[in-house]
Amino acid sequence: MKAIIKASSVISPQHTHSAEGFPSVINEVISDRLTCLEPDYRNLINPIQLRRMPRILKMGLAASQLCISRAGGVDPDAIIVGTGLGCLDNLEKFLLEVIDNQERITSVLPFINSTHNAVAAQVAMLLKNHNYNITYCHRAFSFESALQDALMQIEEKQAQHVLVGGIDECTHDYVKLHGYLGYWKKPLSNLQLLGSGSSGTIAGEGASFFMVSGQPDKDVTGIILQGIHTFLTPQVSDLDSIEHEITWFLRKCRTELQDIDGVLLGLNGDNHFDQAYYALQKGFFPDQTIYMGYKHLCGEYYTATAFALWLGFVTLKSQQIPDAVNLTRIPDKPVKNLLLYNNFRNTEHSLILLKNGAL
Amino acid sequence: MRPRVFVTGVGIISAIGNGTEETLNAFQNLKSGIGKLSLFESVHSGIPVAEVKFTNSELALLAGVNDSTDKFTRNTLLALLASGQASADSGWTDTAEKYTGVVMATTVGGMDFNEQYYKSLLENDRHKDLIGVLDSADCTEKVAVHFGIRHHVTTISTACSSSANAIMLGARLIRNNQLERVLVGGTDALTRFTLNGFNALEILSPTGCRPFDINRNGLTLGEGSAALVLESEEVADPRRIICEVSGYANVNEAFHATASTVDGFGAIMAMDKALSSASLKASEISYINAHGTGTEINDLSEGNAIASIFGNAIPAFSSTKAFTGHTLGAAGAVEAVFSVLALRRQILLPGLNFKESMPDINLQPQLQIKSFPVKHVMSNSFGFGGSNTTLIFSKV
Repeated sequence: MKAIIKASSVISPQHTHSAEGFPSVINEVISDRLTCLEPDYRNLINPIQLRRMPRILKMGLAASQLCISRAGGVDPDAIIVGTGLGCLDNLEKFLLEVIDNQERITSVLPFINSTHNAVAAQVAMLLKNHNYNITYCHRAFSFESALQDALMQIEEKQAQHVLVGGIDECTHDYVKLHGYLGYWKKPLSNLQLLGSGSSGTIAGEGASFFMVSGQPDKDVTGIILQGIHTFLTPQVSDLDSIEHEITWFLRKCRTELQDIDGVLLGLNGDNHFDQAYYALQKGFFPDQTIYMGYKHLCGEYYTATAFALWLGFVTLKSQQIPDAVNLTRIPDKPVKNLLLYNNFRNTEHSLILLKNGAL
Repeated sequence: MRPRVFVTGVGIISAIGNGTEETLNAFQNLKSGIGKLSLFESVHSGIPVAEVKFTNSELALLAGVNDSTDKFTRNTLLALLASGQASADSGWTDTAEKYTGVVMATTVGGMDFNEQYYKSLLENDRHKDLIGVLDSADCTEKVAVHFGIRHHVTTISTACSSSANAIMLGARLIRNNQLERVLVGGTDALTRFTLNGFNALEILSPTGCRPFDINRNGLTLGEGSAALVLESEEVADPRRIICEVSGYANVNEAFHATASTVDGFGAIMAMDKALSSASLKASEISYINAHGTGTEINDLSEGNAIASIFGNAIPAFSSTKAFTGHTLGAAGAVEAVFSVLALRRQILLPGLNFKESMPDINLQPQLQIKSFPVKHVMSNSFGFGGSNTTLIFSKV
C-alpha cells in the first residue's frame, strides 16, 4: 500500500500557510506555547459563515481549501481527519454552561461544534462532497490512523484522491491542566527547545492537509508515502522493542536501514522522553544518517506528525534540508528516503516512510 | 486475496441488560430500559432516559478492575465490560496467537469526570490524576492494555455513526490483510453534557421515544457499550463463526450540521452502496435494524429512504432505540450486536411504542420478537455532520 503526495498545506506557528515550501524566516517566540500564524480567512471562507465559526473550524476549512487548490482543485474521493482533541474550545465552552451556569444554555452552537467530526463534516458541506468521511481521535495516533485509512481507500480502489488532515488547537485550559502533569517548560525561546536538557516541552498546534493520490499510471514519480506503522507501549518502552518495530516496518516496506538517508525525530526537548531518540541515533541508525527535528517550530501536540510529514514532503521535493531543522553537520547529499519516527511520551509510537521516486 | 470477515463473538451492556441473555429476555418480554434519570442531578430530570442500572463501582467490580488504584470513567468501564464479553464469546484466550488490533468509538469520552471535576481542575491540581482519562482515546487504550494489544489501536468519533464506522474500519483492516483479528465497538455513558445539548436542540422526547410513529416526539438518550470480535476467514475457528460482515458503506449527506434531508438522500446512498458492496439485491435483506431515533426528521427521512430502496417489498424492520434509548457513539455497535443476534437466533427483533404509521409512507415496524429465517441484516447509523453508515451482516 502506497500513494503519492500531490499537495500540502499547513497552518502552523511558522510562516507556512502562504506557500508550500519551507519559510525563509523562522518565528521565534518566548513562551510555554506556540500558536498558529493564521491566514486572512476572508480570502478563503465566506465572511458570513466566518462570523460565528470557531477558530479550529476556520483553520481546518482554510487549510483544506489551500490544499485542494494546490492539488489543482480536485474533488476528493474521501475526506479523512485526525484530531487528538477535536473541537476542544467549544467543548469547554458548552461544558462550562452545563456545570457552571446551572444548565442554562445560552447557545446550542458550541454543542454542535464540539463534535469531533465537525471539521471533516464542514469540509464536506463546503465542497458538497458525499464521499467517505471519517474522523480519528486517538491521541498521537490520530493523524497516523487517518493516513493509514487513506492508503487503504486507495488500495481498495474506493478512492483515487484522498484529502487527509491533522488538526489540533491549543486552548488555555488544555495548557493549564496538562501543566499540572509537568508537560511544559517555563517560558523559553522555542529556538532553545531542542537539547535544552530539562523536563517538559512547548505546547503547540496546527492544521495540515494533504492530497494523497493513487495513480492509474504506475510510472508517475514524486514524493511517495511508502507506509505507516503505529505501536503502543503503555507500560514500558524498551529500546529493543522500538528497534524491533522499526526493523519490522522497514522490511514490510522493502527498504533497508542503510537506504534511509534521513530521519525526522519527534524530539521535543523533554529529557524524560528524548532519551529514546538519542539512543537510536547512537546505536541503531547508520553513521551517515541525517537527523532533523521540528517540534521547536510547531510545538508538541497530538497531530504534530502532520507538520513533520509536510516538512519531509518539502525537503524531498526541494532536495534541501533547511538549517533550522538540520541536527547534523553532514554535508548536503541527495535525500531519497526519509523516515519519520515519533515517540509520544513513551506510549504512542509512529513511523512514516517517505520516498522520492516512482510510485 | 481479500479474506472474508467473520463475527466470532459479541458483548453488550445497555439499559436492557448486561450480556446477550438479559438483552434477549427484554426483547422477548417487550421490556424497555427507558425510565427516570437517577445517575446525576439535572434540571432536566423529568426527561426520560435509558440508564445502565449499575453504579461505577459496581461496573468496576463486574469488569474486574480496581478503580481505587487506577482511574476509570463510566465510558471506559462500559467498554471493558462489553469487550470482555465479546472476547469470551469468541473463545479468545491468547492475544498473541493472532495478529490483533482494536478500534473503539465514542463521542463523550470521559465527560462524566469532566462534569464532576473540571471546575476544581481549573482552580487547583488536586484531581490531576484524572486529566489523562478525560479524552476519547482512554476507553480504547485501557481495552488495548487489558488485552495486551499493541498494533492498530485507534478511536473513531463521528457522532452517532461512530461505532458503525469502527466496525467498518475493523472489517477493512482484515480485508486489506492488515490484521487477522480485531476487537471493534463503541461506548458512551449518559452525561449532563449530552442531555443538555440534545435538550437545547429541542429533540428530546418528553415521554420516551416512539420510532416511526405518526405522533413521535423526539429521541430518548441512552447509554451503554457493545463490542464484536471480527476475524479473518484464514484464522477464525469454524465452530465460532456466528455470521459474516458482508457489506458496508460510509457516505456524507453534506446537507446540514445536525439534520437530514426529508427525502433521505444520504440514507439512500448509504444503503444502496452497502448493498452493492455485499453484492446483494434489496429483496435479499431479511431484517433492517433502523437508525430510528424517534425524531420528527430522522424517521421521516429514513422512512422515505427505506421506501425508496425497497419499494413495495419492505422487509421486517424495527428501531430498537425504544428499548435502549439512543446510545450515541455506541449505537452503531449496540445495533450491530442486535443484528448479529437476529442472525444467530434466527429471530426478528421488535420495536416499541408504535401505534400508527407516518402519513404517506405506510411503514409498519416489527412489534414482537419472532422466529424467522434471517439471512441478511441491514443496520443503519446516521450522525451529526451528515455522517451516514450502513452495515450488512449475513448468515454463513
